[in-house]
Amino acid sequence: MSHKRSSINRPPTPDVDKDRDNQEPTLQEIINIKLIESGEKERLKELLRERLIECGWRDEMKALCRAYTRKKGRSNVTVDDLVHVITPKGRASVPDSVKAELLQRIRSFLGSATT
Amino acid sequence: MNGDVFGCFVIGVCLQLQLSSHFFGDLLDSVIADVASECHRIARLGLDRNLDEEEEELRLSAQARARVADSSNSGETNSKYVVDIFGQTHPAVASEIFDCMNCGRSIMAGRFAPHLEKCMGKGRKARQKVTRSSTAAQNRHSRGSPSSTYSYSNSTSMNRLSNGAPGVTGEEYSNGSFEDL
Repeated sequence: MSHKRSSINRPPTPDVDKDRDNQEPTLQEIINIKLIESGEKERLKELLRERLIECGWRDEMKALCRAYTRKKGRSNVTVDDLVHVITPKGRASVPDSVKAELLQRIRSFLGSATT
Repeated sequence: MNGDVFGCFVIGVCLQLQLSSHFFGDLLDSVIADVASECHRIARLGLDRNLDEEEEELRLSAQARARVADSSNSGETNSKYVVDIFGQTHPAVASEIFDCMNCGRSIMAGRFAPHLEKCMGKGRKARQKVTRSSTAAQNRHSRGSPSSTYSYSNSTSMNRLSNGAPGVTGEEYSNGSFEDL
C-alpha cells in the first residue's frame, strides 16, 4: 500500500484567532461592550449597590453569611460557599422598586445604544 | 398596521426586555459576589463577633469578675493593687499633668476639680481671673451677683447645672465666654 497522500481538498487548519473573528459577536456581547466602554455599567452597578444598601438588602445578606459562618466555623468558609448561600435569597428579595428603576435605566441605555 | 412591522415591534420589545433582564441579573450577581467576598474576609479575619467569640468574651469577663471579687480590696483605697481587664493598675490619684483651659496653668489631673473651684470662682471668694474674653466676663459680673452666685452656688456641680443657666454648660464656662442667660 502506498502511503496516504494528503488530500488536496483538505480544509485549512482553522486558526484560533481567525476562528474567533469569523464568529459574529452576539447582540448581547455588543451591548455589553458598549455598556462597559461608556462607563454606564459601572454607574448602574453603583446605583444598584446604593439602592440595595438603602433598603437593607445588604444587611440581610451579611446576616445570612454570618449565620452560615457561625455554623460552619470561621476557617472553613469559602467565597463560593457564601455566594451559594446568598444567591437564591438575594435574587428573590430585591425590592420591586429597585428592580424597576434599574431595568428602566438599562432599557433607556439599550434604546440609545442601538439607534 | 403592517403585520410585519408589528411583528418586528413585538420581537424588538421582547428582546429588549430579555436583554435588560439579563443585564440586571449580571449586575446583581456582581453585587452578590462583592457582598460574599466581603463577608468571607470578615469571617476569615475574625472581624465579626460570631458565636464562638461571644462565648469566649463571656468567659473572659466572668474570669475578670472573679479576679476582682477575689482580691481583698475595698474600693478606691486599694485601687493601686487592683488590676483592670487590660491588666493595668491605676494610682489612687490621677497623676497625669495637663494645662487648665481656664487659666493655662499646669495642673495634675487628680487635683483638677479643687483647682477649678478656685480658678473659676466659688462665689464671692476667689474672683474670676482674666480670661480670653474678659469683657464678657465683666458683663457677667455687671449683671449682678444674684445670677453668678446662683450659678456658682454649688461648686461641685459645676458641670451639672440642671436647674441652672439654660444653654450654658461647664465647657462654656471654661472658655470664659458666656451665652445670654
